[in-house]
Amino acid sequence: MTTLAARVPAAFARLSRRRDGRLVAGVCAGLARTTRVDPTLVRLVFALLALAGGAGVVAYVGAWLALPEDAGEAVTRRRRFAGIGLLLVALSLALRAVGLADSVLWPALVVAVGAYVFQSDRGLEGGRAKRRRLLGAAIVAGGAISFAVTASENGSQSSLIAPTGLLVAFGLIVGPWIWRLAQERDAERVERIRVQERADVAARVHDSVLQTLALVQRSADDPKRVAALARRQERELRGWLYGDAGRSEGATLRGALEDALADVEEMHGIRVEIVQTGDTPLDERLQALVLAAREAVTNAAVHSGTGDVSVFVQVADADASVYVRDRGKGFDPTAPTDRRGIRESIERRLARNGGGAVVRSAPAEGTEVELRMPLQESS
Amino acid sequence: MKPKRRLVLVEDHRIFRAGVRSELDPNIEVVGEAASVADAIPLIRDLDPDVVLLDVHLPDGNGAAVIGAVAADRPGVKFLALSVSDAAEDVIAVIRAGARGYVTKSISGDELSDAVHRVADGDAVFSPRLAGFVLDAFRSGDVAADPELDLLTTREREVLQLIARGYRYKEIAARLHLSVKTVESHVSAVLRKLQLSSRHELTRWAVERRLI
Repeated sequence: MTTLAARVPAAFARLSRRRDGRLVAGVCAGLARTTRVDPTLVRLVFALLALAGGAGVVAYVGAWLALPEDAGEAVTRRRRFAGIGLLLVALSLALRAVGLADSVLWPALVVAVGAYVFQSDRGLEGGRAKRRRLLGAAIVAGGAISFAVTASENGSQSSLIAPTGLLVAFGLIVGPWIWRLAQERDAERVERIRVQERADVAARVHDSVLQTLALVQRSADDPKRVAALARRQERELRGWLYGDAGRSEGATLRGALEDALADVEEMHGIRVEIVQTGDTPLDERLQALVLAAREAVTNAAVHSGTGDVSVFVQVADADASVYVRDRGKGFDPTAPTDRRGIRESIERRLARNGGGAVVRSAPAEGTEVELRMPLQESS
Repeated sequence: MKPKRRLVLVEDHRIFRAGVRSELDPNIEVVGEAASVADAIPLIRDLDPDVVLLDVHLPDGNGAAVIGAVAADRPGVKFLALSVSDAAEDVIAVIRAGARGYVTKSISGDELSDAVHRVADGDAVFSPRLAGFVLDAFRSGDVAADPELDLLTTREREVLQLIARGYRYKEIAARLHLSVKTVESHVSAVLRKLQLSSRHELTRWAVERRLI
């Protein structure tokens, strides 16, 4: 019970006789429900078919036998076969009524049976499947030949029918077979792509996440290191999952800052939250800005006493600004302390390139360093 | 003394839910938890909480779907979105669906509690990251093309920039010589503009810049 045998009942399965709204056995009502047409119309068709040598009546009885009453109810195999048989008889009656002779009808039936046999090989193992196909092909060929012979006996007007019939028969066997082969190949290709993708993900997860987890286990008694490892892993995964449009197009301010601050994070075991709006290609001045920002974040990591630093980067029309903020100890900016770090690596570096820095801080309120660099005139 | 708040937690990681529950202040009672869109919708209808803490990504959909299904018949429920790290378009989608704020999962317990109270009071809660997204969306060059997308006022822009720099409302108020209430109303105004502006323009923006 495969292919055709599975496909036809699949279409059939939704067909059922209808208990409510039936006149005789609910065949017409059921058909009408499934095909969404007026039941009266279906009944009319059956009535008209009844005039065609009684085909309608036979078809009705056949459908009665073959269809379950309401979907879900099972029909015995024998009853279904009897019903389908009657439907075929009805078909032949109808065709005869239209004027097709037995000479066409019976060979066509034989060809159909052969095609059915030919396709019913699925699920059988190699040798038996091949034999099944051969048998089907033989039956089809027999049907086609008998058709050709009877047709040629019938005279000249059938001379076209013979080759056409052969072609149709051939198509009946080979068509579905080729179609199925193509489908199997597609399914195979999709599966191959899927396997490939899974392998890529697995490799990626192994190289990064699993390695990190192993490291985390080994350094379980060093919370700072664990946090740094987790943070780096998070950054990597995020970059992989969400891509990074800014960085794929060569070096930009954003990419350079992210890299530089990631280094600081790792080195000092802190967490840097970067928020950015806008981006611009990296040049010499902006490189100075990145280095100054790196220094500011390092200062925050070393002196503020907190593990969290927020950085906001804004690229406007005329300049780029970086704000480095911590909520740590802070200091009194007017006190004469050693501020060499700020003066040398931040203020002077920016000033040399036309930028500047402002430091806001108060004891217990944390520190904010504002770094600004004008953008190069449009080049 | 802060009033009691009833909170529903919608988030698919059990461990994270447990962490949130233990970190929230005692005035916030977690009355229900759900791990999926399908579970969350009837739960929120049933419990009618003050605030729903809503993950942007759930196994069977996103946070916006929960808000869309519940907001109409439970208008009193406020939604606060949270996520670990998302594409800008997802975050903006949840905000546009009606969430009153967005915070990242790296937020501390105190800050989260504060955010819940704030949202319950009807205020908007912007994390620095959301402020960054919004500033980007409303950047002068981009919005000129679309008259529907109201420009931010200079004040609103200043407030957002300070949020993005990591300032708290109180600090922003001090910095700009405003009252905290005024700062809050500026943020609410930005939220409203975000929710009303043309979907098309924002989507285009979000797709162009996949900012994380």
